[in-house]
Amino acid sequence: MIQLKSMLNCIDNSGAAIVECAMVIGQKRHASIGDRIVVVVQKQRDAGAAGMAAASGAKVKRGDIRHAVVVRTKQKVTRRDGSCIKFDDNACVLINKSGDPIGSRINGVVGMELRKKKWSRILSMAPSQA
Amino acid sequence: MNVTPLARRPLSCLKTSLLRQAREQKMFSRSLATEVQAVAAAATSKTPSQGPDQNFYRLVDKKTKSVRSAFALYPPPLAAAGKPLSPPSTTNPVAALHDLQIKKLDPTGARTALFARTREAAKVGDILLVTHRRGGEPFAGVCLSIRRAGIDTAVLLRNHIGKVGVEMWFKIYNRNVAGIEIVKRRLKRARRARLTYMRKPKHDMGSVAEFVSAWRKSRRVFQTKGAKGKAAGQGGQGGKKKK
Repeated sequence: MIQLKSMLNCIDNSGAAIVECAMVIGQKRHASIGDRIVVVVQKQRDAGAAGMAAASGAKVKRGDIRHAVVVRTKQKVTRRDGSCIKFDDNACVLINKSGDPIGSRINGVVGMELRKKKWSRILSMAPSQA
Repeated sequence: MNVTPLARRPLSCLKTSLLRQAREQKMFSRSLATEVQAVAAAATSKTPSQGPDQNFYRLVDKKTKSVRSAFALYPPPLAAAGKPLSPPSTTNPVAALHDLQIKKLDPTGARTALFARTREAAKVGDILLVTHRRGGEPFAGVCLSIRRAGIDTAVLLRNHIGKVGVEMWFKIYNRNVAGIEIVKRRLKRARRARLTYMRKPKHDMGSVAEFVSAWRKSRRVFQTKGAKGKAAGQGGQGGKKKK
């Protein structure tokens, strides 16, 4: 249930750590896994925590407005066979306007709903899917 | 006032008086007829098989002093057709449907037995491993609750995948669920039906990956002893299900 002002973790190596949802694209409801949103970068991943990737070449800065794809939600997502999945946090991956991910790596599990929503690039980058 | 026209036209006066008399007689006879009819109808209204169209609003019959309500009595439809009415069945139709569906989806009864209220069954707090038929990695986790609801019976598993807690509900009678296996039993019986407190950091178990890998290793020992292949998988711990 990602909506205006929701704070999400950014789990790629684009340089953003925490982002805030500014808009849900393409629908009037809240966003779920696999939906595209507009975010504002609120906190940058500092050099010590993220290693060399974000040390100097952070691709996004605090205050940047970017597009992102929701990959995990705290809200339960029901699948077609009746099983549900629920994560402990809300997370997203930053993308550019054409839909390619800004970062080159994803650390953390992502939801399987991305496959149905045609985000195969993000799925292949993720270390594990659930 | 009418005297002068009468005097002038005596015949017309006669005609009007005759006409008036005839009209009055007609009215009188008509009212008499209705009265007679009403009495006859009231006399027959005591029989319950009579339809509502006659004397529907007549309340009291003066002769019999019986009060007739405006609500008509109808015979039961099946009895009227000549067949006796059977009493409604005592079995719960929803439960019967659930039984039918469970029999269809779980012919061996293994899934039912795994979550029955018995000693050997899986319980809340056990670590379970669910394998999907449609690819994907098998999902292991601590069972936080079992929702028993006939064919909709489901289990809630919780695990950590890469520092993030993940919870999944699985329907146990789902055909896509290839198997549910007990990886590790809880040492002491849980004293709650739903272990939602295990979401809190203080009680969180974290990842169950090491339990699963240890269980896999123990199963491999059994596999080398017995026949190779999938059939050897049956030799492990209890509470196993394949279908």
